Amino acid sequence: MFVRVLRDFCRQTAAVSGRENVNRLIHIAVPLEKNRDRRSFLASVPRKDEGTEGEKFVFIDSAITKKEDMFPDINTPNMHFGGVKFSDVPVCHIKSSRNNTILHVTKPNGERIMIRSCGMEGFKNTRKGTNIAAQATAIGLATRALDFGIHTVRVTINGLGPGRMSSIKGLTMGGLKIISVTDDTPISWNPLRSRKQRKL
Amino acid sequence: MKIIIIQVLNHKLQFIIELLTLAMKHLKFISRTVLVRNENVDEACRILNRIMGSEGFLDQYRRTMFYEKPTQMRRRINYEKCKAIYDEDMKRKINFVLRKNRPEPFPGCY
Repeated sequence: MFVRVLRDFCRQTAAVSGRENVNRLIHIAVPLEKNRDRRSFLASVPRKDEGTEGEKFVFIDSAITKKEDMFPDINTPNMHFGGVKFSDVPVCHIKSSRNNTILHVTKPNGERIMIRSCGMEGFKNTRKGTNIAAQATAIGLATRALDFGIHTVRVTINGLGPGRMSSIKGLTMGGLKIISVTDDTPISWNPLRSRKQRKL
Repeated sequence: MKIIIIQVLNHKLQFIIELLTLAMKHLKFISRTVLVRNENVDEACRILNRIMGSEGFLDQYRRTMFYEKPTQMRRRINYEKCKAIYDEDMKRKINFVLRKNRPEPFPGCY
């Protein structure tokens, strides 16, 4: 507001002094103007998608609905899902990194059955690191898995990337039944020295 | 009667200890796992994300992706301390302003 008043005042003085059509900003207003532009620009840029939807989300009805049966206990590995023991259900490993999403389907002992990644699906370069690519890849993998005879899977997610949630969505859209979701991100509280920071 | 109660308690304790030891081993599909209920995968994912976020797992992961220089760490920790103090004060102030001293604190609201 103050800046605008100053600017108008400046324009008036310029007009009074005899020169017409002179519209210029006085010295102090320019940097402020620039700053404001940048702020509005930053506000209009969409937030980076990390795929962690629901992290800063509070359920209002959390007190009403019971969530006790949503967490595993000792008996969970022996529970039956569609006639198969929980511990014998195939696993779908999702690794979602900044630039790509890789999906494996393995047997419970870790033997690989199939693998798909956004790059294999035909997305190249930066397009690999998008949630759309991840979803398409997951749908492709799900159809293949159904052909193979796999109908139910357990899911483990590794890493924070744009494909974190959308690949799970793609798996369900492809027709696979997901019975559990596990986070498998490697987190250490006394880590080795990691690589140096990215220069932006 | 007492013996029966003690036995039941013992049984429960054993159950809890067994579960804790399993969780301490970070067994896959026991720790950091949410079962899907009624084919509602979205809900399960959101619960998982929320728990991971509120326990500080995701923050720790983001922080350790790249090396944090000691100066940066000092700055961050000081900032967090200041913020905690400010938040506590502000919470107290808000509670003070919003305090109610009448028999029915919010008349007309049930």
